[in-house]
Amino acid sequence: MVLELQKPRPVWQIMFSTHHTDVGLLYLIMSIAFLFMGGALALLIRAELFFPGAQMIADSMTFNRIFTVHGTTLIFLFLLPSASAVGNYFVPIMVRYKDMAYPKLNAIAFWMIPPGGALIWLGFADFTWYATPPYSIISAPGPAADMWIFGLKILGISSVLGAINFIVTILKCKHPDMSIGQVPLLAWSFLSSSLIVLVAIPTFAAALLMLLTDRLGVTGFFNPAMGGDPIAYAHLFWFTFHPEVYVLVIPAIGMMYEIIPRFSRKPIFSKSSGIFAFVLLAIVSFSSWAHHMYATGMSFTEKTVFMIGTLAAVPASGMHVFNFVATMWNGRIKFLTPMMWSIGGIALFFSAGAGGVANAAMPLDFTTHDTYWVVGHFHLFVMGTIAFGTIGFIYYMFPYVTGRMYNENMGKIHFILSFIGTILVFFTQHVLGLYGMPRRIFDYPAIPEWVAMNQIATVGAMIIGVSMIIFLINLIHSSAKGKPADIHDPFGLGGKYYYPFESKNPHH
Amino acid sequence: MSETETVYRTSPARTGKMMIIMLGICIVGGAIFFGMWDYWISAPPPVAAQMSGAEDHGAPAVATGETISVDLNFVQTDDGFTDLAFNALTGESGHNPTINANVGDKIMFNVENVDGGFHAFGVTADDEGFSGIFPGSEVASAASPLTTGDSGSSEFVPSEEGTYYYICTVPGHRELGMVGEIIVGEAEGPAEAAAPTGVSHDFNVDFVESEDGFSDLAFNALTGEEGHNPDFVVSSGDEVTFTATNAGKGFHAFGITASPDDFSNSLWGSEIASSAAPLKAGESGSATFTAGAPGTYYYICTVPGHASLGMQGSFIVE
Repeated sequence: MVLELQKPRPVWQIMFSTHHTDVGLLYLIMSIAFLFMGGALALLIRAELFFPGAQMIADSMTFNRIFTVHGTTLIFLFLLPSASAVGNYFVPIMVRYKDMAYPKLNAIAFWMIPPGGALIWLGFADFTWYATPPYSIISAPGPAADMWIFGLKILGISSVLGAINFIVTILKCKHPDMSIGQVPLLAWSFLSSSLIVLVAIPTFAAALLMLLTDRLGVTGFFNPAMGGDPIAYAHLFWFTFHPEVYVLVIPAIGMMYEIIPRFSRKPIFSKSSGIFAFVLLAIVSFSSWAHHMYATGMSFTEKTVFMIGTLAAVPASGMHVFNFVATMWNGRIKFLTPMMWSIGGIALFFSAGAGGVANAAMPLDFTTHDTYWVVGHFHLFVMGTIAFGTIGFIYYMFPYVTGRMYNENMGKIHFILSFIGTILVFFTQHVLGLYGMPRRIFDYPAIPEWVAMNQIATVGAMIIGVSMIIFLINLIHSSAKGKPADIHDPFGLGGKYYYPFESKNPHH
Repeated sequence: MSETETVYRTSPARTGKMMIIMLGICIVGGAIFFGMWDYWISAPPPVAAQMSGAEDHGAPAVATGETISVDLNFVQTDDGFTDLAFNALTGESGHNPTINANVGDKIMFNVENVDGGFHAFGVTADDEGFSGIFPGSEVASAASPLTTGDSGSSEFVPSEEGTYYYICTVPGHRELGMVGEIIVGEAEGPAEAAAPTGVSHDFNVDFVESEDGFSDLAFNALTGEEGHNPDFVVSSGDEVTFTATNAGKGFHAFGITASPDDFSNSLWGSEIASSAAPLKAGESGSATFTAGAPGTYYYICTVPGHASLGMQGSFIVE
């Protein structure tokens, strides 16, 4: 393993190591494993919806359990840990420090994730990733629901510990010769997303405790029968999880900032605007949470405020897209797998963003609320932008981590199939939502348009499934028998360009 | 990185080791996952029991020994929504029969879905809606209802006077007519204990267990053998002495209760030992008390779970 620059050691030494590359490797392997587990559930959901009526899932409760764990897994056990994996590998190197600021805390933050994941997967709760009250309080069967609550609690603490570590590493441990403006954009993305985590997560941590005590019957915060208000939960939840969207997307954009200049063989068009846009996104991420709740009967003033707050994210996102396009402009672009994933990610980021702008307009939101439009919209973001950026970066890291090259052709096929599949599934779901199909349903009436679009979406999902199997084979085969990579220039870009291990780091 | 440094690359052996570890975790985890699939959703949240009224109707009624058995059929018109009822449609005889009972009577419901549709049964004190179902009175639920031909039974022991309703708990069905009244009056008749009669009885019971200690528990003789869980009949006001001997290997305790499930409320000072300080193997104890109000009571092992495994018999007061 090149990034760790250490001799191969017994497995247990890697598992109990506190070195940032070892922890990063653990994060990486675990998040890829959960990607496949959560993805399998997604295929099950799509297969069930291929025809109206029950196909392969026994009843609606099982269906609810499946999509709850699908969402929880891919957000908390794939996207967040895979970002942490990249951060663990690259942030210390980029700020020229020997390790993360608190190596033991780093290892603790990782090792909190497997128990959290086990709680979520063993219990298999059924109240959606939003833990919808009052259902989650008065009806959701335990111990599954309680296990989900504790699992999320553990994962939340893990995120906060990881965020503290990144912030301290970047701000306090960067090389004295390095000004904050010289910190690479990937590290800046971790700084801004970690700051969001630090502000946002405690609210959800409180909401989880309130859910738990409500379930026990001790309190009635969200229980209408005891004078509580489920809308209060919506506020607490979305105060955390709208910013959380940016926590996921900002590192993915940071990864694109790493890949695109490299493969365009040109410096970033404007680094300062990238930094500015990251900070701006981190701030405006807190001004838009209530756009998830237009339909709950808020006043016109509130709705206007949150609509403007939501649209405030557009200039910052636009700055990133402009920066990417301007960086590629006139560059000698080498279309290798990581670059293709990044460009595909930008295209879909733009589409998802356009859908988001339309959706943020409150009159339209009443039409699309709780329909498949919403499912299509946020999946286009999390799959099309965040997962694309992350998967591209996994390809980019692969030679540095394993010392071997992945199979370029398989990588390209993986990208092309995933890109087609993503468009088939999630663009179709937008339209399906406009045709009125509600989300989170197990069965639907045999309206010809609904059936047709559901079938298109299912075929798209199966295409993604096939591409992911190719990905898995590529990862396993190439890490065992892949062509040895030229560590100085694995992608054959000419070697004049910056690679992370070449940074002037006395410890590496 | 200097030129002289060795480049370490992953080897097939290391990749294989990683795959074995990951697959091992998946196999072990998967076995637990599928093996306990239903266990994790087996317990409703504690607040549900609170809200269903279990706390409000705290003390269980003292059983009168009276059991009222009611057969109810879910019936509906052919279209399935213009009229829903119990036993007979609106206007026909036997439509939604009213049940008269007294506090402490045990009302046994045998319900059957005869006409199709999805139905579920429950008793509530609320005069509208489908919530506040008394625990134990429900048959099926709106989430997993009775379909055509399914039947079930449940029981309800009212602890206060008043009007209760037996309803179909599927939302909306009550409003369409699936509701009947249960009118509960004051406990009547000789509910009070008679004056001491001066007659005394001595009863001996042995706690016996099957070889393995859990598949069968009983008094005096195992299931199917002569003398298994004998009935004891006394008159109200008689003085009764019970001597209980633990002839098994486990821990047992004795008590007379209104219901075999109610192992925590022994009546009249009839308890011998307790689940916290039970009779150990070979020990015995006795208790003397005066039989109270007439009715059918149960002598049980008050160690939780033992009564339901068979350690229960009838104690009838006339």
